Amino acid sequence: MNYVEWLRVRNCLRIAAIILAVLVVLAVILRVSVARYMSTEAWIAHMALNAGSKETHTVLPDGTKRMMLDDPADRTHVIVDDHGYAGRHIVITEPSSREHEEHSHVNVGSIQVSESRHGDLTTTVVDTNGAVPMMYYMAIADLAALVVATILAAPLAREIDGHLEIALTKPISRVRYALGVIGVDVVGILAASFLTIVALYLCQLLFESPRLDFSGINARAVAMGLALPLAWYAMLCAATTWLSRAYGAVQGFAWPVAIFIGILAAIQPNNTVALFVHDVAWVISRLDPLSYVSMAQPALNGSISYADANFAFRMSIEVLLFVVYGALAVWQWQRVEA
Amino acid sequence: MNSITISNLRKTYGPIAAVDGFTIEIPSASVFGLLGPNGAGKTTTFKCMLGLTRPTSGTVLYDGRPLTPATLARIAYVPERNVLYDWMTVENHIEMNRRAFSAFDPARAVELLESFNVDKRRRVRGLSKGMRTAVMVALAFAQNAEVLVLDEPTSGLDPVNQRHVLSLMINEAVRGNAVIFSSHQIGQVERAAEQIAVMDRGRLVLQGLVDDLKGDRKIVEGIFPDVRFTLDGITSDPRVARADRTERIVRLLVTGGAEDIASRLSAAGATGVRVLDLNLEDIFLYAVSPTTSTDIVVKESSL
Repeated sequence: MNYVEWLRVRNCLRIAAIILAVLVVLAVILRVSVARYMSTEAWIAHMALNAGSKETHTVLPDGTKRMMLDDPADRTHVIVDDHGYAGRHIVITEPSSREHEEHSHVNVGSIQVSESRHGDLTTTVVDTNGAVPMMYYMAIADLAALVVATILAAPLAREIDGHLEIALTKPISRVRYALGVIGVDVVGILAASFLTIVALYLCQLLFESPRLDFSGINARAVAMGLALPLAWYAMLCAATTWLSRAYGAVQGFAWPVAIFIGILAAIQPNNTVALFVHDVAWVISRLDPLSYVSMAQPALNGSISYADANFAFRMSIEVLLFVVYGALAVWQWQRVEA
Repeated sequence: MNSITISNLRKTYGPIAAVDGFTIEIPSASVFGLLGPNGAGKTTTFKCMLGLTRPTSGTVLYDGRPLTPATLARIAYVPERNVLYDWMTVENHIEMNRRAFSAFDPARAVELLESFNVDKRRRVRGLSKGMRTAVMVALAFAQNAEVLVLDEPTSGLDPVNQRHVLSLMINEAVRGNAVIFSSHQIGQVERAAEQIAVMDRGRLVLQGLVDDLKGDRKIVEGIFPDVRFTLDGITSDPRVARADRTERIVRLLVTGGAEDIASRLSAAGATGVRVLDLNLEDIFLYAVSPTTSTDIVVKESSL
């Protein structure tokens, strides 16, 4: 293990951990602030009920607190089964309106809402504390990992910038040294991702008992979420090693340039010049690991489907980019002279 | 490690030859001083020795074998500039070396740092230039290396610590290790080194044991009554390595037979003729500065 790089990673992770700890503290403050609104009674108390409404509270044999609300005037019937920390199951029956759809099912985080129409009545079932798609966790964790990857992405350039006499007089080969440094950074990036997931889990834990969904697209999101920051890191590592005198600029401009090229590659041009710019940007964007991250696939009807048809290809490209960029960095490191 | 052999070492940067056909042999159990003016190629030679830069041609052999990563475990290096990590503490540097070099002695490093009055808990960015040099020196001497390559190891140190570093170098030689160092302070080299090599513009211009170099060479100085005078063929004597003239004064660098040359100079009409001993600084200056604007070189030959 490269001790200096380990110290750099440790410092970076320490800052990341402090930021994440602040987020958890903010979540605690939020949880305490909304505590009195979280019980079913508090929820009902804040509703504007008609005069003839009837509210019934019972406790089911399994300990579930059931609250039934019947509003004959509005023909609305609500059953709330409060499982406490394990969430709520809410069934609302009410007259159909234009806003109601024939049949729908929506997942927002851990909340699942399904609607079905029966004649002039619509039944809405709300389940809180459903399994949270891991994809959401990974999206945020990836952001943190990408930031950490950008910060760590100049390990060899930093050595070239004033420390070669130390780095190159250690009794190990240059290849082994470079691979050791990159290896430490890879562990650091994955650790940043892991720390973020832990922090998010803690935040969710404050409000409900979290369950994570790793199935289908979520498993693919985890794999992509691990590969993307590593490929991004390798790309910047190669760039900073080759442009060692300007490694700070490479790190600083990496994001704006990647976003700018991504936008140019994505927009559909309407004239020849714009088409040329778009084509050039598209070709350049193929070198950018961020270009292969999309889990969504636009369908012909304009909707988005989470198809996995080209997932293996995208993952292979990410892995390939990591290997190729990493090799370029190591190659350049072998050539440097003090 | 018995010896380091540098043969025909050449390193060019474009059209400029930083080191040009440099050849020396550095024995173990000795302190070897490498002297030369700025830009002479001393640091480049050290870098070639340590694999920090690739020679254009020539070889550096350790006990007859080329440098390998394993060889580096037996070599300690103090670069001429500060290469420490500013954001790390001195203690971190000790730990770094402990992990990198199996023979590194952390307790010895701490002991040396204390002798230089450096607090190991301090960050490098808070240390003075001299303290940074002291840290690099302490780390190198705690490495228990068989070869110590020290590029201006006393730079920025106060006289007390400079003397301390010289003592450390001599101790290493006594323990059987090879120490090669460069310095612009010739007095230090004279005090510590048994052998020296002088480089100028990438080339080796003088090499030998310090005592031999000093014993062999004398200056014969004489003053003529008029600026118009002749030396009657004295400068063509093979023992006269070099002759400088300033107005009425003539200074001859001779490599033997100083009394005889002095007699011939008197016979040529010079008064106040005297034979002077050379110190290492004189030898160095004669080796690297063949002329100045006020001197007229009458003769110059290889020293």
